[in-house]
Amino acid sequence: MNEEYPLQFASDHIALSSKDLAVIYADGLTAVKKLSISFPRKAVTAIIGPSGCGKSTALRAFNRMNELIPGTTTKGEVLFHAKNIYSPSVDPVAVRRHIGMVFQKPNPFPKSIHENIAWAARIHGQKGNCDDIVESSLRNAALWDEVKDKLRKSALSLSGGQQQRLCIARTLALQPEIILMDEPTSALDPISTASIENLITELKKDFTIIIVTHNMQQAGRISDMTAFMLLGDLIEYTSTKKLFVHPEDERTERYITGRFG
Amino acid sequence: MQSINYGQNIAHIDELFLSMASSVENAVRKASHAMKTQDQELAKEVKKGDTMIDGLQQAIEDIVVETIATQQPVASDLRQLMSATKLASDFERAGDYAVHLAKGTKFFINEPAWRQLEELEAMAEAGCVMIRQTAKAYVGRDAALARSTAALDDAIDHTHKALLKEVLTFLRDHPEQAEQASKIMTISGYLERLGDHMTNACEAIVFMVEGIHTELNE
Repeated sequence: MNEEYPLQFASDHIALSSKDLAVIYADGLTAVKKLSISFPRKAVTAIIGPSGCGKSTALRAFNRMNELIPGTTTKGEVLFHAKNIYSPSVDPVAVRRHIGMVFQKPNPFPKSIHENIAWAARIHGQKGNCDDIVESSLRNAALWDEVKDKLRKSALSLSGGQQQRLCIARTLALQPEIILMDEPTSALDPISTASIENLITELKKDFTIIIVTHNMQQAGRISDMTAFMLLGDLIEYTSTKKLFVHPEDERTERYITGRFG
Repeated sequence: MQSINYGQNIAHIDELFLSMASSVENAVRKASHAMKTQDQELAKEVKKGDTMIDGLQQAIEDIVVETIATQQPVASDLRQLMSATKLASDFERAGDYAVHLAKGTKFFINEPAWRQLEELEAMAEAGCVMIRQTAKAYVGRDAALARSTAALDDAIDHTHKALLKEVLTFLRDHPEQAEQASKIMTISGYLERLGDHMTNACEAIVFMVEGIHTELNE
């Protein structure tokens, strides 16, 4: 991949792509307008932009989560393994297993730490003893050492940062290829944020990560690629280094330098 | 908790620094040897190698800019990055002086009477020690080593002044050698400036570690 001009990835380097993706809400608002973008495999891509730019809507479109919002229409294509996930023959639940999601507010189930992961795995077809999956998921989420002696305790007894890592572990238990993260640290303190950011940097060795963040400094710290959206449009998409050192578009420059947004 | 990406960038800068320092030290040593032995091929190698040294400076500066843009360092982390650009510039200048020294090889071929100048060799060797120790002080974040390294510049300055005195004394009896004498002092001046740049680099290291601006070897 050419770091300077990475817009054209070789097809085997692309984990997910969209073509003319548009999302329209029930009130007629076109939140995402004809978005065409490719996400490189095993890398972190950040989507930044001011509130209302369509970044979270776009993220949810990548695993059909907008369908849970009544009256939402999605047009265009999202290609995963060369198949459009919006094809009538595609099961959205299966899509969400392969393309998992972590949300802004940690949302552990009101169950034990162990059951948060085991139950999710069982729901998706895991049979028998789930202890191995629970341990490997917690290890991959850098949480095992902190909770291994209290797996039967309620997940709600964990701190905010630990709960978010538990949610990441729960997603990892389903063995996704891609993890979508919608402002995963905005509800956390700085130390927890730093630990999640380092976790993301580790996870990209095995997973493709697409993260929406309103914190562009976070995008700078952890992402390989950054996409800047404004009013539903993709304005600029390039390597993070290039975007933060020498953005091409004046709107990008004005946003990242704090002149608006 | 330090960001993994920030840590990787710093490690990369350290690696480039050590490479740059090694290249500059080799260049100065080669240039000194070329002058002593009138080896024009060795002199050419020094001139050719300067492109790589310049490239290393640019590489360090690029990483510093990217790191500041994407990692938002503050306090000692920010000072470290600012000092890195300062040091890269000082090392690059030292590389340039090695090239100037290498060009002096021609002079010594044409002027055999001036060849046995141990002072120049001693200054070059002291400069090499300063280069090596300055890089070590940066990578080790060692202000004490930076201070003691800067003190080595005293010997270079002293030798330069002594050489000047010697050359002026010689000139009184041999005024026809004024052009040659001037050339010798220019070469000596390059080595004296090299020491000054390493002293500047050591000051930047002290600032990096202690956050204070200091004049070493006033």
